[in-house]
Amino acid sequence: MISDDELLLYYYRELDAPERARVGAAIAEQPELARRLQALVARLDTAASMPEVPVPAHTRQRWQAALERAANGPCVAPRTRSFFTQPRWQAAAAAVVSVAIVLGVQQLMMPSSIQTTPGTVAATTNEPAEPNASAYEHGLKWHLASTEQQLASLDEASPEERARLIETIIGQNRIYALAAERAGEPQLARVLRAFTPILEGVADGRTETASSVAQLSFELRVMQARLGADAAAPSNTL
Amino acid sequence: MLTLLQSWVRPDAFQTVLNERSGRWYNACLRITRDADLAADAVQEALLKAWDRRDDFRGEAALDSWIHRIAINAAIDLTRRRKRRAEDEFDDDGFEAEPTASPESEYVLDALGRDLAVAMQRLSTTERQTFLLKHVEGWRLEEIAESLHTNVNNTKSTLFRAIRKLRVDLKVWSSES
Repeated sequence: MISDDELLLYYYRELDAPERARVGAAIAEQPELARRLQALVARLDTAASMPEVPVPAHTRQRWQAALERAANGPCVAPRTRSFFTQPRWQAAAAAVVSVAIVLGVQQLMMPSSIQTTPGTVAATTNEPAEPNASAYEHGLKWHLASTEQQLASLDEASPEERARLIETIIGQNRIYALAAERAGEPQLARVLRAFTPILEGVADGRTETASSVAQLSFELRVMQARLGADAAAPSNTL
Repeated sequence: MLTLLQSWVRPDAFQTVLNERSGRWYNACLRITRDADLAADAVQEALLKAWDRRDDFRGEAALDSWIHRIAINAAIDLTRRRKRRAEDEFDDDGFEAEPTASPESEYVLDALGRDLAVAMQRLSTTERQTFLLKHVEGWRLEEIAESLHTNVNNTKSTLFRAIRKLRVDLKVWSSES
């Protein structure tokens, strides 16, 4: 007999390996147990959900001012000049502008292509928000793009870094699955949650990394393309 | 080449992450503190720490995760300090950060009050923070215990106490509806 507490500890990935295997096998064998866990998590998701509160403009200004003070203040004393006025950064800024222009032109030339490389994803995340996009949609796009980048870097990561990255992705996915539920998009929430067992398989070495990453990257690109299409739809009608 | 570019765009990355992600950090801190001013202070503290260590980060995702976590820790710390200042002796565990009088705080508390209504408000600060850190933020029990200055066993029992309270209330809600 598996208790609700054990089910939740399984969901929270807090059981040791033998216990985890025992509960996992029971869930796989007994659909009723899987349904019980799903219902339990859904109830707790409801309790945890709350609306996003916009950051007040004066708070943003305060953060910006604090950062500017930090950039110019005594804490950067070892640097003889302000961080942004060093020749290295001026040269870098010029290089970044050039790269941005090239990428911008490339995007204009290929408006319907789906971005697949990490470099292109980074360019996407730096784009300003569409005026009509909600904070949720914008955050979700950012999350999907950065998840794709993180997945792409798994191959080169050390085992510790890899475990940390996977944990980060699972944690962030959980947050966006909650947000998707709140936004009335249960299907998207389910897709995001479906990442967890695959990523856990990669972390445990139970599944092959390259094929899992390819599968997840495909799902991410589909979601990004769908979001892009949804965002483009209203502007087409104007 | 990619590594070189990543290090070159770092100041831009910092600004991008701030523009894109500060709402998420702020809201996470707001859930922890239930106070707009404390949440803003927590994010600012995390930003300044991140700025000091900006050369350590590889890419925007690492920076975002790091600031998010530091901001939440700062939020817990600020709530704890305010609790100490308030000298609320008779309700040690049930303290909620004192609402400030600014319209912004009133708006936030109003939003929180509506949506976290019955269930979350019945939790003590420690129970609420433990539940949010586990269920929403996905922290390990060890990490929560360290941040809340307690041990793993206490954290686990606090988590299940919070969950039991929430389940009771949610059952009442669903049967009423």
